[in-house]
Amino acid sequence: MTDTPQPLKPASPVRKTAARAAQAGVNVIWIVPIIALIVTLGIAWNAFRERGTLIEVVFADPTGITPGDTALRFREITVGGVEGVKFTEDLSQVVVSLRVDSDVAQYIDDDAAFWIVRPQVSAQGVTRLDTVLTGAFIEGYWDAEISEPASRFAGLERPPLVRSDQPGTWVTLSMETAEGLSEGAPVLFRGVEVGRLENVRLSEGEDRVLADAFVEAPHDARLTTASVFWDTSGFSLSLGAQGIAFNVNSLSSVLQGGVAFDTIVSGGSVIEPGHEFEVQVDEAAARTTLFATDDANRLRVGMLIEDSLQGLTQGADVQFQGLRVGQVTDLAVNLSEDAEGNPEVRQLVTMAISPRRLGLDEDATADEALALLREEVAQGLRARVASAGFLGTSLMVELVDIPDAEPATIDEETGPNPLIPSVQGDLDDFTASAQGLVERIGNLPIEEVLNSARDTLDSITVLATSQDTRAIPGALRTAIDEGAAALANISSITTELNQANSGETFARLLDEASEAFTAISAAAVDVPEVIDQIDAAAAAVEEFGFAEISLQAEGILADLRAMLGSEDAEQLPRNLSNTLEAATGLLNDLRDGNAVGSLNEALDSASTAADQIAQSVQQLPDLIRRLQATAAGAETLFASYGTRSAFNNELIGALRELRRATESIGSVARLIERNPRAFILGR
Amino acid sequence: MSARAGDHGGPILTAHRAGLLGCHRCGRVWPADQVDCRRCNAHLRPPDRHRLQVVWAWWLAGLIAYIPANVFPMMSTQTFAGLAGNSEATILGGVVELMHHGSYDIALIVFVASIIVPVGKFIAIAWLAIVAGRPATSEQAHARLKVYEVVEFIGRWSMIDVFVVAILSALVQLGFVASIHPGPAAVSFALSVAFTMLSAQSFDARLIWRGLPLRSRRDSDDL
Repeated sequence: MTDTPQPLKPASPVRKTAARAAQAGVNVIWIVPIIALIVTLGIAWNAFRERGTLIEVVFADPTGITPGDTALRFREITVGGVEGVKFTEDLSQVVVSLRVDSDVAQYIDDDAAFWIVRPQVSAQGVTRLDTVLTGAFIEGYWDAEISEPASRFAGLERPPLVRSDQPGTWVTLSMETAEGLSEGAPVLFRGVEVGRLENVRLSEGEDRVLADAFVEAPHDARLTTASVFWDTSGFSLSLGAQGIAFNVNSLSSVLQGGVAFDTIVSGGSVIEPGHEFEVQVDEAAARTTLFATDDANRLRVGMLIEDSLQGLTQGADVQFQGLRVGQVTDLAVNLSEDAEGNPEVRQLVTMAISPRRLGLDEDATADEALALLREEVAQGLRARVASAGFLGTSLMVELVDIPDAEPATIDEETGPNPLIPSVQGDLDDFTASAQGLVERIGNLPIEEVLNSARDTLDSITVLATSQDTRAIPGALRTAIDEGAAALANISSITTELNQANSGETFARLLDEASEAFTAISAAAVDVPEVIDQIDAAAAAVEEFGFAEISLQAEGILADLRAMLGSEDAEQLPRNLSNTLEAATGLLNDLRDGNAVGSLNEALDSASTAADQIAQSVQQLPDLIRRLQATAAGAETLFASYGTRSAFNNELIGALRELRRATESIGSVARLIERNPRAFILGR
Repeated sequence: MSARAGDHGGPILTAHRAGLLGCHRCGRVWPADQVDCRRCNAHLRPPDRHRLQVVWAWWLAGLIAYIPANVFPMMSTQTFAGLAGNSEATILGGVVELMHHGSYDIALIVFVASIIVPVGKFIAIAWLAIVAGRPATSEQAHARLKVYEVVEFIGRWSMIDVFVVAILSALVQLGFVASIHPGPAAVSFALSVAFTMLSAQSFDARLIWRGLPLRSRRDSDDL
């Protein structure tokens, strides 16, 4: 290290570096921070521009609002948020500052509405349960028109029921009381919800309740000036002229009430928004009012009646031919003098009659209606009071045609209104007649009837199970066979009659028969003696070994019965058929046998014969009596034979048959006596 | 040479003063008039304050990007599809929230990694760029070199916030229950970190030695 170190000096002066830097100009790298700056500034500008407009909404109850958290939503889409809350100067309300996105902020003008959406439990149901999780939010609503922007709003206490852009019509309803009606109650049209009730309030002037009703389009087209509204709140139970009515609407209307409307008559004009309607108590009242107001040309007429008016009220129907044409508008007492000058108290019933309902034109005047009534009265139309309805407790006025009424005219001079002639009322005492009916029902001998019925049934059972009844078919068949034979005989007789035209012969025959009967009658006088002789003979017979004979007779009867039993009842129809065929043949014979004329002659002669028979038959009763006596005698005779012997039984049966035959002959005789032709003509 | 400088406190012979030029890539020194490094073929650039422009440019870009990184939310957390809360947190807001929840240690980590380190880096780079080439004692030069090395080292760890957001966004996608999305600040922060790293890289450490005194001074108090 002998050399002194070379002094250190820079190869190039440091100062030169700065100069060179200045000369070198701007490096390309500076573009990077410039771009970064531009981008950042752009982002910042964007953020600034998009932070939106600040508006203030005043709420009385800002429950659930948190600055920075609570969103502002429009149609459920977040369009802003709450920036801050502060109090108004009087500390009574809270001003909520809302930052609204700039793209929707322009639409927020005076008609914008803001309300806080929270979970809600009401009669209409549970709504907005989602806000339990997300927390309340502010909902705003405004239309799409851009107008003068506003920045301070009064918040609504609850969501509006109807949004401002919803098409429909607002009308005002006026009612006596708002009982049962609440905000949001539905407006029904034939049971369909078409709108809502809002803003129920007391009217300033009168003691009435007003409410705004919104009827949605297109249902608002059904509203005319002729529409009627009525209250459908809760349920109604009425006992009136039409019976018992119990009306329950939907559960919702039970809870929060509701109104319904209908346009029953046509002809109303289109309403202006805000038209005021009266709400009636119920549908019936609404329809009545509607009727009362449906045309201006009502005819007012009166009637004087002497009956009690208990039950006749204002608004009662006036019916013509069963149709309602008007209603009673006034009831009053009328003092007048009768023909002798004595004061007379009568009731004056004033009623309004609609010319339209009388069948006149739509624009018919009251005078036209009066002219019609005048005409009808001349033809017997009268007014009277009649009972109406289910229980008959209420009354109505009836215009009826009394065919034989005294002539009368409409009195157009006495009162303020023309007077229709009236007749005594047609009031049936429903209660009395109902009571009578009940009493009569109570007096019916039902128990006795039942007893008799039971006895009858018992008898029938006994009868049906008895041997005799079972034997009937066989006997019937025999009888029918015999009938058929008899008909055949009659047929031949008729043919003979036809051929012989022998009415006179027949008459003679009958004369002879009559004589014969007379003889018999005479002979019958001796019968008791005969019977005595028979009695004696019978006694003699009894002394013989009569028991053997009776045994044989019994055997014969048993055989006979067996024979009858062996015949099938099944053959009965065939026999019947045969009989009918024979009858048909007979009729055919009758038809073919001769000309109608000869038949007529034959019938005439038969008629004559019948008359003769009638005469002769008059003697029959006597004969019959004798025969009966004979039979009775015979019965006593045979009764002496002994009670137990079978023969005796058979004999008694035979005698009974005999008596029955006698009775039959008697009835035949009576029949012939009454209508001799029937014997011949069979009718 | 540095040993001699350390021993005697005398003037330090730098490459520049020795008429040599170091390759910035492989470190081989060449004569000052050499244009390209013959070993690694890199272009040989003499240390030049002119190059500080690049540092400043990156630095400024990083600083600009750092502003939105702090203003905008870092990530948005959605729980129960936004029903139970939809929280967006900026870096500082997140730190405050963590402190509210009592997690002071995590709050400290986030605060250090996201605020102190980047801000410190900006200050350090700016300071280095300002004082580079200015006269300095060898001790001062050594301190500056130390600062530079620290900045360089920390640079790669500054992305810790971005990593957290990226990992969370990828992992916490539970659909309805919870989901995390990166916010605009995450991009800004990543850019900011990248720009500062580039800024630090662009700094030519040789300039630190440029300001060394030409002759040794006994007392370094006069500077």
